[in-house]
Amino acid sequence: MLLGLSIKLIIREIRSGYLTSMLVSLTLAITIVSGISLFTDRLEQALSTQTEEFLGGNLKFESNKNKLQPLLKDLEIKDSQFMEMALFASVIFSNEEMQLSSVKAVDNSYPLIGLLELENSEGVYLTKSNPKPGTVWMDERLQNLLKVKYGDEVYIGDKSFIFTDTINYEPDRASGNFSFAPKTIMNMSDLESTQIIQPGSRVEYNYLFAGPENEILYIRNFLEEIKESGDEIEMLDEDSSSLGRAVDRSENFFLLGGLIAVLLSACTISIASQRFTRRHISYVAILKTLGMKTLHIRALYFLIFFYTIILTLIFGLFFGWLLQNNFINIMSSYFPTELPAPGLYPLVVTCLTAFICQFGFIYPHILKLLSISPMRVLKDDIGLNQGSISVISAGLLAFFVLLYLYTNQITLSLIIFLGVISFSFVGIGSIYLLLGRKNLGLGASNAFNLALSELRRRKLGNSFQIFAFTVAIGLSLITFSASKNLLGSWQNSIPEDASNNFAINITKEDKDQMGLFLKENNIKSTTFFPVANASIARIEDDEEIQIDRNFNITWIYNLPEQNQILEGEWFSGENRNGISISNEIAERYDLRVGDLVYLKVEDKEIKTFVQSTRTVNWDNFSPNFFVIGHPSLFEDIPSTFITSFYIPKEKQEIAAELMREFRTVSVFSIEELIKQVKEIIDQVTKALNSILLLTCLSAIFLALSALQDGFSVRRHQSAILRTLGASNSLIKNSSLIEFALLGLISGILGALMSYSGVYFIETKVFQATANFYPELFILGPSIGLIVVSGLCFYLINGIVKKSPKELFT
Amino acid sequence: MILKVNNLRKEVSSGDSSLVILDDVSFSLEEGQSLAITGPSGSGKSTLLGLLAGLDSASSGTIFLDNIPIHDQDEEERALIRKEKVGFVFQSFELLPSLTALENVMLPSELKSEADPKSNAEFFLERVGLKDRQHHYPNQLSGGEQQRVAIARAFACSSKILFADEPTGNLDSKNGKLISDLLFEVNSETDNALVVVTHDHDLAKKCDKTISLQLGKIVE
Ligand SMILES: Nc1ncnc2c1ncn2[C@@H]1O[C@H](COP(=O)(O)OP(=O)(O)OP(=O)(O)O)[C@@H](O)[C@H]1O
Ligand SMILES: [Mg+2]
Repeated sequence: MLLGLSIKLIIREIRSGYLTSMLVSLTLAITIVSGISLFTDRLEQALSTQTEEFLGGNLKFESNKNKLQPLLKDLEIKDSQFMEMALFASVIFSNEEMQLSSVKAVDNSYPLIGLLELENSEGVYLTKSNPKPGTVWMDERLQNLLKVKYGDEVYIGDKSFIFTDTINYEPDRASGNFSFAPKTIMNMSDLESTQIIQPGSRVEYNYLFAGPENEILYIRNFLEEIKESGDEIEMLDEDSSSLGRAVDRSENFFLLGGLIAVLLSACTISIASQRFTRRHISYVAILKTLGMKTLHIRALYFLIFFYTIILTLIFGLFFGWLLQNNFINIMSSYFPTELPAPGLYPLVVTCLTAFICQFGFIYPHILKLLSISPMRVLKDDIGLNQGSISVISAGLLAFFVLLYLYTNQITLSLIIFLGVISFSFVGIGSIYLLLGRKNLGLGASNAFNLALSELRRRKLGNSFQIFAFTVAIGLSLITFSASKNLLGSWQNSIPEDASNNFAINITKEDKDQMGLFLKENNIKSTTFFPVANASIARIEDDEEIQIDRNFNITWIYNLPEQNQILEGEWFSGENRNGISISNEIAERYDLRVGDLVYLKVEDKEIKTFVQSTRTVNWDNFSPNFFVIGHPSLFEDIPSTFITSFYIPKEKQEIAAELMREFRTVSVFSIEELIKQVKEIIDQVTKALNSILLLTCLSAIFLALSALQDGFSVRRHQSAILRTLGASNSLIKNSSLIEFALLGLISGILGALMSYSGVYFIETKVFQATANFYPELFILGPSIGLIVVSGLCFYLINGIVKKSPKELFT
Repeated sequence: MILKVNNLRKEVSSGDSSLVILDDVSFSLEEGQSLAITGPSGSGKSTLLGLLAGLDSASSGTIFLDNIPIHDQDEEERALIRKEKVGFVFQSFELLPSLTALENVMLPSELKSEADPKSNAEFFLERVGLKDRQHHYPNQLSGGEQQRVAIARAFACSSKILFADEPTGNLDSKNGKLISDLLFEVNSETDNALVVVTHDHDLAKKCDKTISLQLGKIVE
């Protein structure tokens, strides 16, 4: 019986259209959430395979000594694979030319992850093997520099090799210090016979591991124990490549969009369920007077509640799937292969969101509804205290849980939560005061008075309406601003003429000549930074605390572009000067401004202090340094120089010329990387625009349901006013004035809210510098004015067209 | 003549079937006169009253209210007529819940932009015996009290004709008599016409004229 009744009830509810806004916004929320989480899940999987490839494995051990090999027998590896490679720089000779190249000697397990794309006289092919002994592969640049063809002989050290293939693509691009230099790959077994590796020569040994997470962690622990100063361990999640950061950021954007859409929907759902319960008050009261047990009534409404979950989940997941398909199509050029199937996580997040919304924003209202006294049948003024503590706290709790679900950070959630709460508190409070005391009477003599008295009379309701509009406008503007300004500034951070080539190993002698060469060829370059490898020890109570890694440091007088001092001061002309370190390093190694440090460079020890910390823009594709010192400290330190410059496409041959001219200088191109990052930004922008659209849709739904909520009261009032002879224009105009004012106020508040939101996101989430966006303060009020009064015009027209008789029924 | 009705017909269509609520209703009423409309429940009394007051439009037929052909007018023009000439008491009061009794009664005067809506409203609230409840909201008043506020509001319209839909229907006989006496008292004082829908025979007898409806038609 209950089942039948509940089905009848829900069908009737859906037909009557009263449930529409609740169902639609819940479906919208689920659509957005499932769409975004499905997509980011698949994206993440695809990208982690890509970054795995980039690193060459899940775990990498770098050392200057070939010391791991003998120790490996102590390591019990069951399910993981392992490979070894040696990286060094060497001059390679062909019969005509010679050229410095970065050489990679790899064993038979190469490549651990991914495939190589090679090219020879027979064409392009993919392979998962290393070069046969006695052969080498080289990249196209080196091939051109050495002027060799397939089958020609080249010499590395004492051994001759046959050049067989061109390297088009190698998966482990992150290997080696300067992996973008003209490159040679050879077989590990040939290494000895080249006689290149002598005691004291600079070689980097890389050991790569790929396998299941727990075993990788075990290996990592093992490696940590044998690790000495100068050795490095790298794991996937520590990837700090430009690509990794680009992907991270885009994920942040998506999550932000999703979170905002869900919050908007949550507000709509809350309003809708309030209306739902209000309409069901008499229904429940009647059921009670008819003798239905509260238990049964509860079961009845629980069933209705259950149906809405199921319905919205089905539709939401369906549309969400379409949405992520759409995203994947947009980004398909970036992923040539099929994306991996989504995992379980998106489904879990989606269902969790649906349940949190239901239990936070709908269920408390229904519980409240069940408490209605049967007296209500006799006296229809017995209302429900809909704003009761329990309902509000359930909503707030759900709000917080949602925040946490999406940000996964307790402090961030707390900040947003408290921010929103205090913002609405102050906002609603000031509106409350602003509207002032009501006068006697309705002020129905003219439209303006009527509007004003209405605003004052329904202060609380209006305040909440303004709150809803503010949230709708503010959050849409945040999404808009995020997509436009943040992405824009991100895009601009890679200017058209961003450096696409790096040159390293520039000697003091070559430096000036190379500068001249670049100038003659009209190529813009950054400063020539001196580079030296240094280790740092912090001095604390006369004790030296060694920092377990080495840094490439530089020394210059001027703060590099796009660096910003956070604490302390940049070098001044004459005073005692020290070093400036990046904020990441300061945090990780607990270094503060004023700390005394020892720098060990070459064989010299320099005692100095931390003078400032600064932010570094790692995305600007020019040389960046964790540690910068004042030149006076390094006067007699030998160093090479590094610089970056932009070579336009049509002048590519200059790179080869440069390398021929300056044999010892290594030049490598990062064109591909820039292209990849730019592409991601482009595609993220497109995808984000669809999220922006959906967010605006949720916002309009919120505004509409907030308006509709007030309009049932307005309908009754207009009917009475019309009976008493009020003209259409009085009712229309007063409503328009009233809502234009409401819209305007909400717009201003929304602009303020979005501004604080964007400020917060820029400084805290993306750790960039905040900008002022004047357009927010134009957009907000005008959108508020136009949208709210537009919606009002639409709703009020439906009222004034009808005769009073029709309105009463 | 304040009211002249000819061949009035009201039909409503629900879905594909149509229902005739009023059919061939004709009568007239002189200025200052009172008219009782009686008949069993569902016979079309409220519908007729609504049509007469211009709250709704008829399917066919003519209505002249103070010699104005309101059947020919659109909603906007009828609103103007209602403001100038009509007072109305609903069967279900229809007070604004967000206004106090006093403010509800002030409403007609406000709409007419009269000089002092407050004292006018207070005067009529005193007449219906609710001066001490003037600052209470409708939900703080009993059904009968709300009815009296509704009547005070109709009086405050200072109209030429007052329509009341079962003004005593919610009251006990003592209060009912009080209200009906009041209606006639004000009616005779101001010389406006009165049209009441009622089941109350005493009330009907007090009227100058009575028409009786049955299934939407006038029966003698
Ligand atoms: N909009 C409508 N649609 C369908 N039927 C209607 C409509 N309005 C009124 N009716 C029907 O017309 C008939 C007359 O209704 P009306 O309210 O005029 O009756 P009444 O004489 O005032 O009854 P009561 O004494 O119970 O108030 C009723 O049967 C009613 O159901
Ligand atoms: Mg009736």
